[in-house]
Amino acid sequence: MTSVIGRSVTRWDTLGKVTGSAVYAGDVALPGLLHGKIKRSTVAHARIRAIDASRALALPGVRAVLTHADVPRVLHYGSPHPRSASVTKDQYILDTTVRYHGEGVAAVAADSEEIAEAALELITVDYEPLPALLTVADALAPGAPAIHAVGPGGNLVLDPVVVTRGDVAAGFAAADLIVEGTYTLGRPVPAYMEPNVCVCQWDALGKLTIWTSTQSPFMVRGTLAEVLGLPLTKVRVLVDHMGGGFGAKQDLFQHEFLCALLAQRTGRPVRMEFSRKETFLGGRTRHSGSIRLKQGFRRDGTITAREAEIVFDSGAYGSHGPGVTAVATASLTSLYRCDNVHLVGRCVYTNTPIAGAFRGYGVVQSYYALDSQMDEAAEQLGLDPAALKLMNAVRDGDLAPSGHPIVGHGLEDCIRRGLEETGWAARRAAPKSHDTGRRRRGWGMGCEMHGSSAYPGIKEQGNAIVRMNEDGTVTLFTGTTGLGTGAHTALAQITAEELGVRFEDVAVVHGDTDVVPWDIGAFASHTTYMAGRACQMAAAQVKAKVLARAADRLEVAADDLDIRDGVVTVRGVPGLSLTVADAIAAERGIPAPQLVGEDSYRPTKSYSFAAHFVEVEVDTETGQIDVVQVVPVHEIGKVIHPVAAAGQIEGGIQQGIGHTLTEDFRVDPRDGRPLNASFVDYKMPLAMDMPPIRTIILETAPDEGGPFGAKGVGEDPIIAIGPAIANAVHDAIGVRFRHYPITPEQVLAALAEKGATPTPGAADQPDQTDQ
Amino acid sequence: MHPFAYFEPTTVDEAIALLARHGGDAQLMAGGTDLLVEIKESLRRPAVVINIKKVPDLGGLACDEAHGLRIGALVTVRAIETSAAVSRLYPAIAEAVREIGSIQIRNRATLVGNVCRASPSADTLPPLIAAGTVAAISGPGGARSVPLGEFFTGPGRTVLTAGEIVTAIALPPPAAQAGASYIKHGRRRAMELATVGVAVSLRRDGDVCRDVRIVLGAVAPTPIRATAAEMLLEGRAPDPARLEEAGCAAQDQSRPIDNVRASAAYRRAMVGVLTRRAIAAAWERTT
Ligand SMILES: Cc1cc2nc3c(=O)[nH]c(=O)nc-3n(C[C@H](O)[C@H](O)[C@H](O)COP(=O)(O)OP(=O)(O)OC[C@H]3O[C@@H](n4cnc5c(N)ncnc54)[C@H](O)[C@@H]3O)c2cc1C
Repeated sequence: MTSVIGRSVTRWDTLGKVTGSAVYAGDVALPGLLHGKIKRSTVAHARIRAIDASRALALPGVRAVLTHADVPRVLHYGSPHPRSASVTKDQYILDTTVRYHGEGVAAVAADSEEIAEAALELITVDYEPLPALLTVADALAPGAPAIHAVGPGGNLVLDPVVVTRGDVAAGFAAADLIVEGTYTLGRPVPAYMEPNVCVCQWDALGKLTIWTSTQSPFMVRGTLAEVLGLPLTKVRVLVDHMGGGFGAKQDLFQHEFLCALLAQRTGRPVRMEFSRKETFLGGRTRHSGSIRLKQGFRRDGTITAREAEIVFDSGAYGSHGPGVTAVATASLTSLYRCDNVHLVGRCVYTNTPIAGAFRGYGVVQSYYALDSQMDEAAEQLGLDPAALKLMNAVRDGDLAPSGHPIVGHGLEDCIRRGLEETGWAARRAAPKSHDTGRRRRGWGMGCEMHGSSAYPGIKEQGNAIVRMNEDGTVTLFTGTTGLGTGAHTALAQITAEELGVRFEDVAVVHGDTDVVPWDIGAFASHTTYMAGRACQMAAAQVKAKVLARAADRLEVAADDLDIRDGVVTVRGVPGLSLTVADAIAAERGIPAPQLVGEDSYRPTKSYSFAAHFVEVEVDTETGQIDVVQVVPVHEIGKVIHPVAAAGQIEGGIQQGIGHTLTEDFRVDPRDGRPLNASFVDYKMPLAMDMPPIRTIILETAPDEGGPFGAKGVGEDPIIAIGPAIANAVHDAIGVRFRHYPITPEQVLAALAEKGATPTPGAADQPDQTDQ
Repeated sequence: MHPFAYFEPTTVDEAIALLARHGGDAQLMAGGTDLLVEIKESLRRPAVVINIKKVPDLGGLACDEAHGLRIGALVTVRAIETSAAVSRLYPAIAEAVREIGSIQIRNRATLVGNVCRASPSADTLPPLIAAGTVAAISGPGGARSVPLGEFFTGPGRTVLTAGEIVTAIALPPPAAQAGASYIKHGRRRAMELATVGVAVSLRRDGDVCRDVRIVLGAVAPTPIRATAAEMLLEGRAPDPARLEEAGCAAQDQSRPIDNVRASAAYRRAMVGVLTRRAIAAAWERTT
């Protein structure tokens, strides 16, 4: 049988996307549709004295205005998995206090977007200003006012996360070298292609239907039901195609509640769609902040101790702050082996835009620090950084951050393969004199590991229902969302493979909470890994039923049968076979009993690994850093769809280059006003900026828990690229940056400080790598 | 989007009459890549939009050694970019148009629209000024010509008066042994507004430069000539020491602002670097 696993079959979702026929939430057109808009705060911290909406209500075409006085006052999580340790219950739909510039304070529904926008300008809000705490330092200062009444106090989102293993004091005492540094983190945003959008409609029986661009429809259902006081049968969430989410669309946003309430108030369907600017103002960012990291090394490179203090800026609400802090803190136990660790993670409220879940979930930050510092240590120890990382790489049997033993030698395999592919030793040893003029080149590498599934933070569960139709085709019901990764195609491949039918004969039904099995949401690199395994298990049940029926018909034992390409064959009897359709066909007018398999899979944890190798060129006159080429090597267990996996890797690298060099959502340090809430001034690398990427995927450490040994790949690619670039910059110009993004101005300043700016016009200057 | 009345005149006179009638409430629209974005973002709220794309007289791209380059108001940036004659005779213009937005934008955007928008960071303005471009203007009072060096009066502001429209721009033929270049500084390779742009045009006379024009973009309310730098080079060989001096002089003449895109100090430093590089590139092309 030709296996469909490992084949880049045509994805289910692409034809609809390229022809424009794919339906996104914003495409839903209903008769009588109204347009909703949100009035957003123009101050960072204030109590609302009064809101006057009378002029807005008087505007012809305005159908409803909602303020805090008109909406249920229920404290909610604003995030999915409400009962896990990942999130905080600190939000109201509309509050009497605003906590960041951009927070919604009122909402309008009108006959057109233009009227709704005009109405927003007619709403006046009387703010009583409160002191705005715009930095973590402000928020942690003694006597700082509390941004929230909930939480442990001191503007902490949660009690500090503390992870200790071994004895750090003894570890540092045994060290020959101690390296310490503080790493400061920028504030990138996910910048998904499809701005947040939803459409809400109520039926005569008081049931809410919401089409929304979300990664976690069942969490939207649960939270809406809870806040609106409805049973789950009265909330139906629909999401077909999505234009990305990158983690941020796990949250529930103000517009989803407000749209439902406006639709209820007006008795008409309402659409609410963010402008691009609102995706910045009302969206979610990666956690900024700082990481102080200190490690002890023996002369031979052994790590004797690791101490870290992470402080994340949560912005105005907790969102995923607890989960991100826990994952980031725990991540520093691993990647590079160390018996003695003491790690503390804090997450702090400030009056800035909300930080949330974002691809890499805290690990982008922690491994930027860890991997950069490994390079620094290697230099001081006189070792090759790649050799130091290889010797310390976590491996089979080591304890992973989740507390599970690591399976296999994925990280070592990635490093070794990358060293070979890039000719690393020769490149690093090459004299730099040939390019020590204006433009200087350097190579760097960075490593990462990331878990598939959110265990142990959340005890997850993947579900699937597989049904065989009367003609032998198969329908898979999944609650997972297709946020653009192609995961549904992978699920169909897994189902087809397990059942023995053709890939083309499997259809996927998804995106309707009234129909599909419950799912926690598409995040944590777990859809293919976890839901895929559930599909495999459910498909196996259907296969057993088909074989039982075929066994009857062929009068052989079911154990002797197998299904390949939709044909039941008998082992050892080449002539005897039966198509699946014939096997399940009606017999004397009596149809087969329904052929349904359903199963739940509770994963623990699996880790994928990567090493990224990067060449950069630095223009020492302009300070600009160009990524010249990237060689990413990933170990992700069994690859289900190579092109989709490579797509994840390339996209992650693009995002990671942006994080490291150009992307930073900034707020005015004086008043918290966003400074670059648009694509004009928030700069992601685009197609023209992308370097050649030579992607290598290894399958050397498959995980028993995943379908056919598959592991996750969604988040991994965004992590290692950052430190790889920073390390390459150091190789090129001898300057060590301990922050991101690294801007041209900072490169010039650092070169000037080092006295390394080339004399203009003059030829070359000896390379300096002594800093 | 904010509502407006919409007209499609078919002659220049009709367009002028409409403009004159509606005064400051009216905006001309060519490609609309600036105007429509500004309306959508509520930066402009014109009561009247006059689309000039149906005016046949406003097309026309002509380029040769004898007559120079003439660009009608409706000629797209992409048409200029893909003209072999422009690439050969006006390399700095070709460099500037290649830098605008993306191919999609360049297919709609007009060069005259880039000029009339009068953005301090617009890419084509420095090389057009350096090349000695003249705008042909028609209005209720008749026709007049204004060199682009005198056309811009501030960010988004020009010498155009009520009812006036630019029908075309014209560049003189390049001199013998001329060289020109434009260098844009930004963080990305496409879809980027210049943080600094520097254009140079000059003529080689043996070993020395003549007729040097250096124009800086995005470092003052309008594009500005770096006259001190020009004088330093005039009649001199562009050796490294001279380039360095010229770079410093240009830097001193720039008046950049601080904003989220770059600090004033960085912009000023880049004026120096880009001026040196642009002079060297222009000189290279004279041989
Ligand atoms: C995504 C994007 C990227 C961009 N990137 C760049 C870039 O990299 N560099 C750059 O310089 N620009 C850039 N622009 C700006 C814009 O594309 C250019 O300025 C373009 O050349 C404008 O031409 P247009 O025909 O679209 O002008 P329009 O938008 O039609 O008009 C612009 C202005 O000029 C006036 N106008 C137009 N024609 C005439 C005329 N004949 N007489 C008098 N007034 C007239 C209009 O009234 C209006 O005020 C970008 C724009 C976008 C949307």
